[in-house]
Amino acid sequence: MAGDAILEVHALAKRFRPRSAGADSPWVIRNLSFSVREGEFLTVIGPSGSGKTTLLNLIAQTDVASGGEVRFRTQVAPLGDAKALKPGLGRQIGYITQDDNLLPWRTCLANVLFPLEVQGRLDEETRSRARSLIEAVGLAGFENHYPHELSGGMRKRASLIRTLVYDPPVILMDEPFGAVDAQTRAVLQQDLLRLWELGHKTIVFVTHDIAEAIALGDRTLVLSRPPASVKSEHVISIPRPRDVGSILARPEFVSLYQTIRAEVT
Amino acid sequence: MTTLEQAGELELAPQAKSRQALIVCGRIGLAVLLVLAWQAGADSAGELYFPQPMEVARRIAQDTLTGALPWHTYVTLRLSVIGFALGCAAGILLPFLLRRSPRVTRAVEPYIMASVGVPKYALIPLFILWFGIDDAPKLWLVGLLVFYVVFIAIFAGIRNVDSRLVTMARVAGASESMIARRVIWTSLMPFFFAALKIALPRAVSAAIIGEFLVGNAGLGFLIEDSRQQVDSVGVFTGILVATALVLAINAVLERADRHVNAWRPVDRHMQL
Repeated sequence: MAGDAILEVHALAKRFRPRSAGADSPWVIRNLSFSVREGEFLTVIGPSGSGKTTLLNLIAQTDVASGGEVRFRTQVAPLGDAKALKPGLGRQIGYITQDDNLLPWRTCLANVLFPLEVQGRLDEETRSRARSLIEAVGLAGFENHYPHELSGGMRKRASLIRTLVYDPPVILMDEPFGAVDAQTRAVLQQDLLRLWELGHKTIVFVTHDIAEAIALGDRTLVLSRPPASVKSEHVISIPRPRDVGSILARPEFVSLYQTIRAEVT
Repeated sequence: MTTLEQAGELELAPQAKSRQALIVCGRIGLAVLLVLAWQAGADSAGELYFPQPMEVARRIAQDTLTGALPWHTYVTLRLSVIGFALGCAAGILLPFLLRRSPRVTRAVEPYIMASVGVPKYALIPLFILWFGIDDAPKLWLVGLLVFYVVFIAIFAGIRNVDSRLVTMARVAGASESMIARRVIWTSLMPFFFAALKIALPRAVSAAIIGEFLVGNAGLGFLIEDSRQQVDSVGVFTGILVATALVLAINAVLERADRHVNAWRPVDRHMQL
């Protein structure tokens, strides 16, 4: 399995700079290791405050690790020096954060086109790709709306396809559906699965929702309480394509849910 | 907007219209009152202190026809605009340069903030000494006054930019200059326009004060020259035209603001 790993995390450690000199800040992540295969949908579950977002920040290189190694293909993230970081590794790693971070002065369409624009890749082909993504997630007709005119679910969709539109090989997702209602959430999950099955990107999806982790992933990691490390790992063998609604009744789902539940609490 | 809200607005429409008419009537009424008060003042204080409004109106018409008033207005406007452009450019560039180096920023910040405290008008004699008696000392005065207003607003605005948006842009592959233009500059716009609303009238005031002291044209010169000739009608004419100039500039600015910041949710509810 290590042979075709696209992303490898080895003995990763992180502590934030202490508030006052002399005091030691606690470890947020310590001795955390895992790897992700090309095309795999990996989900990561952990209690809130367990360093899940920090983990993704380290992989996306928006924050610097204190120890260990994050390797994407052959590139290793720098340690210690925040200035040497390459956020997104030159568009190789897409990052969908908890907040949608849409630019409030841009319309929905202009937000989706933003990465292409700043990368200088805006042409007829990429524009039509953006249009088809907008249609695929049901945002057609809302292209010229500003973010504050969209519902929470729509904003999530816009931020999702803003990353998909430039096609990074790895996509990190930080509880992207955390702030929406249960119904919208199920629809968004189904949308995500459909989009993923079209392209089979490599996805690392962080959540605190066990059902979501099982329903979406090929494999799920359970993180320990802080300092975070991998507590256990479960392969999810429920066949695809999956239906998020009916999956909850499958016996594999129920037994896995109970196992993980026992580990998390 | 939901259909429910739209329905609410439709019902409100006629009410809002009559309210609008009431406001306009009130404004006209106030203008009439103001002119009446001016008239009363002129009648009681004497023409030397308070010229008749009709006299001033006649003078404005007269000097407009001879071309003297448009010329003075043009001179002041030109001075204000060039001085404003220079001060504004510096006030925008410097914070963007400082953004590149937090350490330099921390070193120079107290000096910049201390220099805000220097009364700029007190520097006029120095400027005349250094830059002569052409446009240069006046441009320095206008530019400096504008610079501080714009600099402080942009400096504070840059610190207020949502860092999550900057990180998002970085991850999406935006270069630093792209981030400066597409994320930071745009999110600064409300700050920038707030600064302009203060800086533009201030630029005209500074130009007029400069003209009091140096030169032989411009609205400031017109006012000061009239005073020396004990021509209070001329003084009032200059003041009125200068006020009209500032109001015209404000109206243009208001339009630009509404256009540029149209995306902001607040603006839609603020419009009457």
